[in-house]
Order: sequence, then structure tokens, then C-alpha cells
Amino acid sequence: MTIATEPALSASAERLRGRLAGSPLAARCEVTDRDLPTIEVAPDAWPALARFLRDDPECRYDLFIDLFGVDNLRRAGQKTRFETIVHLHSLPRNEHVRVKIPLTDEKKPALPTASDVYPAANWFEREAFDLYGFDFTGHPDLRRILCHDAFVGHALRKDYAPGQRWFFAEEDMVAPEWATQTDERAGHFETQTISIGPSHPATHGIIHLIARLEGEKIIRAETNIGYLHRCFEKMSETHQWNQIIPYCDRLNYVSAMINGVGFVRTAEKMLGVEVPDRGVLVRTILSEFSRVMDHCVCIGANLVDIGALSNFIYLYQNRENIYDLIEACCGARLTVSYVRVGGLAIDVPDDFVPRCRSLLESIPLFLADVEKLVNNNRIVRQRLQGTGVVTREQAIAWGLTGPMLRASGVPYDVRREKPYDFYDRFDWDVPISNDGDNFARYLVRLEEIRQSLKIIRQALDILPANGPVSSDDWRVVLPPKDAVYHDMESLIYHFKLVMEGIRVPPGERYEWIEGGNGELGFHAISDGRGGPYRLRVRPPCFANMQAFQKMVIGGTVSDAVATLGTLNVIAGELDR
Amino acid sequence: MSGVVDVSARIPAKLTFWQRLYLPEIFRGMAVTFRHLVRNIVSPGRMPTIQYPEQKRNYSARFRGKHILKEREDGTLKCVACYMCAQACPAECITIVAGEHPKIAYEKYPVVFDIDMMRCVFCGFCVDACPKDAIWMTRNYEMAFFTREEAVFSIDRLRETKAEIDAHGYGYRPYYPGDGTTPPTDASRLPVVPGSGERDALRQAGVALPNRHVGAGPLNATSQAAKFTA
Repeated sequence: MTIATEPALSASAERLRGRLAGSPLAARCEVTDRDLPTIEVAPDAWPALARFLRDDPECRYDLFIDLFGVDNLRRAGQKTRFETIVHLHSLPRNEHVRVKIPLTDEKKPALPTASDVYPAANWFEREAFDLYGFDFTGHPDLRRILCHDAFVGHALRKDYAPGQRWFFAEEDMVAPEWATQTDERAGHFETQTISIGPSHPATHGIIHLIARLEGEKIIRAETNIGYLHRCFEKMSETHQWNQIIPYCDRLNYVSAMINGVGFVRTAEKMLGVEVPDRGVLVRTILSEFSRVMDHCVCIGANLVDIGALSNFIYLYQNRENIYDLIEACCGARLTVSYVRVGGLAIDVPDDFVPRCRSLLESIPLFLADVEKLVNNNRIVRQRLQGTGVVTREQAIAWGLTGPMLRASGVPYDVRREKPYDFYDRFDWDVPISNDGDNFARYLVRLEEIRQSLKIIRQALDILPANGPVSSDDWRVVLPPKDAVYHDMESLIYHFKLVMEGIRVPPGERYEWIEGGNGELGFHAISDGRGGPYRLRVRPPCFANMQAFQKMVIGGTVSDAVATLGTLNVIAGELDR
Repeated sequence: MSGVVDVSARIPAKLTFWQRLYLPEIFRGMAVTFRHLVRNIVSPGRMPTIQYPEQKRNYSARFRGKHILKEREDGTLKCVACYMCAQACPAECITIVAGEHPKIAYEKYPVVFDIDMMRCVFCGFCVDACPKDAIWMTRNYEMAFFTREEAVFSIDRLRETKAEIDAHGYGYRPYYPGDGTTPPTDASRLPVVPGSGERDALRQAGVALPNRHVGAGPLNATSQAAKFTA
């Protein structure tokens, strides 16, 4: 048993090539086969290709996953300095595709927008504009998104020196034009623009919602994000592979373990290193416990927002018990830093299995209490049922993933669609709902907690009683301390690993797993140094939050609060 | 194998008459909260909340708290100022300035070993990186400061003291006796045979020795050590 290897991709690449050959785009694109089928396309042909990939009955790449830039300034052997990479997923065919768009104009990199084909591309294009300065012609609202409006330069370009200090004032913020205008029409008793946040108890983080109200109804809304932006991707470029793990913990800090696992899997795939079964299963168990915590926090906080406090206490008790287990394994409750490239930092404590089993007993008791309090409560039903509705088509168009997408009736779960690690051996169900409202999202998350416990139970059954948790490849994993203290060769490996980092072979790779909020992907580009040349994290929150400003329109302010709760936006992941 | 389950189909979308009446459901809910209340009164030990700071949380022996610098049996620091912890640190919070030890057997020692606790992210990478078993962590997590300068801990605050270990206990360390892994025999624990100033004697005798005064370490320690060598 090793980490499951992906099936050969050449069939889908071959099919793509065949489909494209019959279209007028054939001359403009080139299909290659890497870790994903990759289409290289000229910038001006990109919108046509996007439309083709979405609509062609043999392709149907309907779910927009990611769009980001790459600066090849210090990377040899590349055609152009800038390129844009897009990842798409096909729900009917269940496969990913990558589109590479090399930008020919180095001084003024530009490409046409695809936000009219994929509405989800909107914020991703704004982010690429903000951090790389790519001009998406035809974009409806091309403004900075993560950096402050008064920021000068493009932070992820390789010639931008990190470590500069900027001081910004509130006055430098650019409010949207409609928010500053008054709109008094006849027959209106009240129209006003309000700010919810940035620091508002209901935003659970620092998120700014500007809303135009008509009476109590929201008629126009816009979200401002970026208050917690701390240059995760820029920092990754100046650190070694293992040093990025503590930074990953701070992405989705509610389920920190999952981020680390997602990141090291990318590096391990690039290295071709195999993690022993025990290490993989411990990662799976703790990841699923983290997912339980993530959903507990989401449900608990959401119910607090609408006025039900007891559930919060009961659900947080689970979280407290899981934190105790995680702390016993790795020494920290929140910022775990437990995984390493090639395995785990240390083996789990002796009483790991009994502790997990006792948690499996206690968590359902609290869930039962919550269900008793909430499920048939008239107030909860009135607040959650029928509010924040996302239809199946909207959910796909807005690029939602995770519980948000599943609550709208699409059973897309990475653990099921692309079973990584041992997920294909477990017997579990993907909970979905066809309602798409806040109550459906609550029910989906509650059921996902139960399914996670089911997975943990099966993982504990096949967990080897002892054995290594890390690979014994000393080019990747630190040798045991006994050897380092006494054996010259081990000390040399140890020294090389600490001082130079892991030498990941040059290349690029996208690996994705199911995070607490949806598809969590890491796209790493290595140039053979000890750290990544470029590390892109695909944060599931980002697409979910983008949909928020559209979901709240037509509802009341109190509905917006309930909707924001079920979105489960984690600002650490949203702003990176 | 995994299937798909529709959760909304399990629960009736419409509430029944009794549920819509509101009060019966409220009493059912109060039965749940009241059960928790009574249980917490009867057995307060089950409550997950603790009365900090009177009562403190019991952390595991792997807890990543304040660092300590371990000593040899003769009371000198085990640290040989190799800069590996400073290089492994993702937060770049360790500043080391190495010096040449008068005893030739010890060779190098840290003249300055500072950890900026405000920058530190308590990831434990320094402990993993140390080839000399010189840096451990404790379960001490109570470090509050009034100024930024106070937060930079130097050797005198990092050196292991018995009082601190008695109060807090050891935390994250390279190996765990009784934890399933065999503790390695620790060569750096014992004092190195004293050199009794051979190097000075050799210098006085006119032997050309390489000048091994190390001002700054490799890579990211360079920028930090610059202020000490200048």
C-alpha cells in the first residue's frame, strides 16, 4: 500500500486534442500532457477557448477552479516572462484541465477577460491584476482586491522587493461609486448605504460588506476583502519547502491540519517520495477530525449569529476535546505544524487509538443535542429555510466547492471524485441537498461530521499498530536523532536538509484535496532550489465569498448575517 | 466505496402542527439544556472550561512553549553556534553570534543567542534542526511583555533552570523517552575534555592558526548578525 497513484492522463489529453482539432481554435492551441492535460493558448484566443471548453459536449469543463499568474523572470527556459494559468473541472467527466496563457507583452501584460464565460473568474482576475498587474481587457470591475487601493506596484512580481513597509489610511480606500451616490426615488420611504464590518461580530474575521438598503432589503452589495492579507504566496517563495508548513497552518486556521497535508502532498508528488501507510492514515484521521472541528465551528457560530447560544457551547466542547488530542500529537492546539514533506514530525503518542475511539463515542452525543435543539425549532427554520438560496446552476457558475456546492445538489467531493490516500477503501456517503438554502448547508455539514467519524472509525481499523510514520529517504526526511548525534553520514544529510532544504526536481504540479470548505489546491512550481519558485494556493473560501455579494441581494440584513455564517468564510484562507 | 445521500429528504421540510405551536419544542429544547446544567452542577470536573489563571490547562509533554538551552554536565551550553536552528526558523527569530571558545575542545560557542519571542511562531523546527540536542522547549506559555525589547530573550533567560522545569516541565524535544521511540545516547551531554588553553599556547609559540572568529552565519542569519559585528 502506498499513496494512490493517479491514472494515466494521456486518454483525456488525446480526446481534448481530437476535439480541438475539429474546431477553428486548433491553430491557436497546443495540447500537452503533464500532471494534468494542459492546453497552451494565445491570449486573444482564450475567451473563445473558454467558451469551447465549457460548452463542447465532449468537454463540459463547467466548474471554474482557479486562475493565477506566474512571473518567469528568474526561471530559465520559459517562452515569456508572464503567464496565466487556469484550472477548470468538468463535473460530468470528472477531470481537471489546465490552460496556460503566455502573455507576450512583457511591459504591459494583457489578456481578454473570461468573466463573461465563467462568472467565477471575476475575483480571480482581479487578484491576478492586483498581484501581477495583468490587464484583463473587458473586465467589468478591474480593481485591486487583496492589497490596499493606495498600494503601488505588483507584489508577486519577482522584481518587487519584499520587506517594504507601507502605511495606509482609511481615507485612501476607494469606496464604490454607487455607495457614495444617493438614490432617492419617488415612493421610497428610506434608502441608505451601510457598512457591515470590517470588524463586526457577524463577519467572524475581518470582512467588509457595503450594502445599499431599501427599507430592510439589500438591493446592492459589495464585499471588500484583503484585511488579513499577509503575502502567503510571496513568503513561500523565500522559504524552504518544510518552512512553509507553519504558514499553511494559518491559512484555514480552523482546520489547520488539512492545509499542511494538502501542501506536503504536492511536494511529495513532485519528489516521488512515498509515505508509509501509518503516516498517511494518521494524516487522514487528524484531517477528518479537523474537518469535524471546521464544521462544528461553522454550525456553532452560525447558530450564535441567529441567536441560539447553547449549540455553540456543545459543539465547541467537541472542538476542545479534538484540540486536546491534536496537542498530544504535535504540541500545539491551533497551529499544528505536524506534517513534514515525507511523513510526520513525530509518531503519535501511545494512547492515540483509544483517545480517538473515545472521541468517536462522545462527538455524536453532542450532535444529537444540537439536532434536538435546532432541527424542528420554528425560529431556526424561519431564519434558515429559504434564505441565501443558491441554485445548482448558480453554484456551478460561481465556482463554489465543498459543502456550499453539495448543498445545491452537486455531489462533488474530491475525496470521492479523485480518491487520494486511502479514501477509496472507506465506506462513506457524500451528503447532498437539493434545496441550496442556509438550512440545507447546515444539514449537509452536520451529516458530513457523521461521515467523517465513519471514515475515522475505518481508518483506525486499518491503522498499523506500529511502524514508521515517515519515509526513510534522507534526502527528504531528517534522519533519526540517534544517528545524527553519532554518525557522520547522517549528520551530513541532516545538515544539507536544514541548510539547503529539500531539492525538489524542477517542474510544476497541481494537487488538490478536500478542505473544510471545498477544493483546496496547491500549485507548486520548482526550479530545483530548496524552496518553491512559485506556490499558488487555491483557497475554497475565495470563490465562496465572491458569491456572497450576489446571494444577499433581495434578502434582509438579518438574512445576510445567517448566509455569511453558512458560507463559513475563514479570513486567513480568504486573504492569505 | 462511497455513495450519495440526500440529507434534506430525511427531514420533513414542513413542521408539524405541534412543532409550529413553538412551545412544545421550546420545552423539549429546555430539557436538553437543563440536562447539561444539572450534569455540570453534579460533576463540575466534566466541564471543559477552566478558571484561568487560578487553574491551568494540563498540556502534553510535547507542548511547544518557551525554549531552553540545554547544558553539558560541566555547566557550559551544549550549543556550538552552528546556525542550523537560525536557518531552519521560518520566522527568522533566532540571532546567533558565534565566538571562539578559549578551550580548544569546545571550539565554538554562542556569544549571542537571542530568540525574539514576538516573532517566534513556536513551530519547533529549531528543536528538530539541532544536531547537538542543545535546544528544547518547555511547557511554559506565560510570556507577557510590556516592551518589544523585553520580548527578545537572551542566553541568560534561555538557559535551562531547575526552577523553570519544576514549575512547567519539559515540552517539545527531539525524542521522547517512554513514548515509543528509544532515547538516543546523548554524546553531547558529557563535558568535553578541557583543552586548557592549548590554542593560546600554540599561538604564543608562533604556530599559524587559522583565524576562526565567526561573525555571521550563513543566509538569513547574516542580516541579523550584522548589527552585532558592526
